[in-house]
Amino acid sequence: MAHITINQYLQQIYEAIDNHEGSFCAELLSFKHPHVANPRLQLANPEDKCQQILEPPYDEMVAAHLCTYAVANHDFVEAYKFQTLVVAFQSHKEENALPIMSAVTLDLRIFANNAEQQLQKKGKGHPGEMLEKAAEQLMSCFRVCASDRAGIDDSKKWGMMFLSNQLFKIYFKLQINKLHLCKPLIRAIDSSNLKNDYSQAQKVTYKYYVGRKAMFDSDFKPAEEFLSFAFHHCHRSSQKNKRMILIYLLPVKMLLFQGHMPTHQLLRKYDLMQFSDVTKAVEGNLLLLNEALSKHETFFIRCGIFLILEKLKIITYRNLFKKYLLLKTHQLPLDAFLVSLKMMQVEDVDLDEVQCILANLIYMGHIKGYISHQHQKLVVSKQNPFPPLSCLS
Amino acid sequence: MNRGRGTRRSCQSQRSAGSSGRQWREDKKDQRQRPAPVVSAEEEKQKLGRKITEAVPKGTCQTMCPVQELQDRVAQNRLHHFEMVPGTEKDRRPKGDPLRAVKEYARPAAGKDATNPTDLRPPAVLLKTVHYLINEIAATPSRHPWTEVYGFVFDRLRSVKQDMIIQRVSGSECAALLEPIVRFLIYASYRLCGEPLRLYDPRINDTHLQEYLSWLLDCYTADGGPNPNQEEFQALGLLYNLDSMRARQHAMELPQQLRTSSSVTLAMSIGQAFLERNPVRLLRLAGGLSFLQTCALHRHLVACRRDLLLIYSHGFSSRNCRFPLDRLARLLHLDSALAAQLCQLCGLRVDLENQVLFSKSAFVEPKQTSLDCKLYHRKISEKQTSLSRLLLRGLHETNTD
Repeated sequence: MAHITINQYLQQIYEAIDNHEGSFCAELLSFKHPHVANPRLQLANPEDKCQQILEPPYDEMVAAHLCTYAVANHDFVEAYKFQTLVVAFQSHKEENALPIMSAVTLDLRIFANNAEQQLQKKGKGHPGEMLEKAAEQLMSCFRVCASDRAGIDDSKKWGMMFLSNQLFKIYFKLQINKLHLCKPLIRAIDSSNLKNDYSQAQKVTYKYYVGRKAMFDSDFKPAEEFLSFAFHHCHRSSQKNKRMILIYLLPVKMLLFQGHMPTHQLLRKYDLMQFSDVTKAVEGNLLLLNEALSKHETFFIRCGIFLILEKLKIITYRNLFKKYLLLKTHQLPLDAFLVSLKMMQVEDVDLDEVQCILANLIYMGHIKGYISHQHQKLVVSKQNPFPPLSCLS
Repeated sequence: MNRGRGTRRSCQSQRSAGSSGRQWREDKKDQRQRPAPVVSAEEEKQKLGRKITEAVPKGTCQTMCPVQELQDRVAQNRLHHFEMVPGTEKDRRPKGDPLRAVKEYARPAAGKDATNPTDLRPPAVLLKTVHYLINEIAATPSRHPWTEVYGFVFDRLRSVKQDMIIQRVSGSECAALLEPIVRFLIYASYRLCGEPLRLYDPRINDTHLQEYLSWLLDCYTADGGPNPNQEEFQALGLLYNLDSMRARQHAMELPQQLRTSSSVTLAMSIGQAFLERNPVRLLRLAGGLSFLQTCALHRHLVACRRDLLLIYSHGFSSRNCRFPLDRLARLLHLDSALAAQLCQLCGLRVDLENQVLFSKSAFVEPKQTSLDCKLYHRKISEKQTSLSRLLLRGLHETNTD
């Protein structure tokens, strides 16, 4: 396979098309397949050869595929350009050839990614330009798939989830300013009757991204559901993917249910010890929380979870104040809270702010009771003054 | 092959991805010195035409208003009175003053050539235009009502933006133009707050402001190099979009030095107080902001004060307890009379001894219409200094250099 001639190669494609062997044909057009390393296929002008053997539009498509030999020189900008052609021809075809589409669009995204990096290194082009262009291409394929009206068995709609996953990857790479573009994709898949029948792998990827999107929109409940699904259904050998899911699932769980602090073993197993101090700190150590956040700041910011972890402060306040229950009194002096906040090195805090923090905790249902301004005391309920967090909506 | 796209903005129509792919391939073929067999002469001509129109237009107009437009508008009696030769305003056909007329915004329409170089102002003229609009129009106290000033300046700035987009102005030139525009719109959002909708629509102002702001921030990112005003605008962006996770995440990703600069740090702390729903801290920190920063934050202040009353209604909800009004007023950064009024709007009773009775069952959501934000402006306006200095501060600093 690795050293066949151009004629043999084209013949194989011809037969694959003729016999409707979509996945074999896809392999022949994929850059994961060994034929791409075959020097005999790297012609400067493959168009004529392709026209001799293949019918349009396959001739042009394969010619463009072969032109992508530039990848051998690691010129990804060039490679990307030809791959867009392959994809363009592919999306014009009416037949059901989803495996081919998946293969070529996947390569397109990878090339765009590499091209982007090459351009950035040379200081050329707009940041994100390549990826944005690739997204446009993928989007046009997505539209073709979404509007396919064929019967369910050979519907192009089966390609929607793969494409939206590819698009998610691009949008999340382009960071926050493109995330709103995920919405129409999610809506299209949600309204599709195939949404539960896609392959498990695709569903896991999909839920992972939809979960992250929900998390970014502060919809933590659905985010927890999506990410949990992804984590539980992710293949057990994909440790790296499971780790990626956990990076988002952990903060959401910590925020939603206090009882769900990750165990030490879990953090160790997935090499996520950055969360270790945070987990400990939420028990009521505001100082440790701030330290942990600044210590692993770069990691948390890069993952986009710093702001969510910051929200743990409110729970940390609650747990810190809860310790005063040990005083066995229902009237807790506000001074005491001020002292503990100062011990936690909270900047320029005063009694007004203590009252505000407590009022907010009462408003959110973390504390049952009221503040008496005259007596400068927090009066807590005799029953269940600090309801467990899991009871709260 | 590199066609030097420059800054791409949304309003430029993009050729379909398919055709651009084809062209790449053709370019490649040309490079290999081989005639492209599939491309007919006709197509070749089209391609050439496309390439010419794709060249970035460069303006040659040296006045704020293109000569042709001024003539047309004089003939059609469509001059704004800020543009007329003084003394002729009352005439049947007022004269246009070439030194004061400014190109109007006109929607792109089919068949209209927006790329005519004589109608486009190069960046230097655009900068002069922006400074004219702000110094001579917006910051001149004798011109009023200010809603009209705003209407005029807003429209003319929009045409500046259009010229910038068509000529793909980018880099530091672009930032220098956008900075005063952003300052102006932020100031306007404060100054015109509460004006009737037909004179000032906060939503339209917001849409434009967001667009200019994100363009400016993109511009800083693309530019890469340090820009003396970047700190100011990163902070303004954060304060204006206090409730936006996106803005916060953007700020988190800034280079260390910028992120830890004093104004960005302060804006981040205010945002943090907002997230933790700690209005007491928020309002106290807001006291340290400059006038323009307060203008940027101001649209969140009503909600913030309402939040304070809401959580205090829950936290201090007890029949036997009272909260002194003057103390509450201090927390709200309002004077007692306004604080009492705000309490009443939220359904909270203030007794004869000026004590507030917080009660979670009494709290009602104040009606949007009854909350006149303008009443609370006094505290902010105390900070105001000279308007033209305020809006063009960057310029003043560079001038003295």
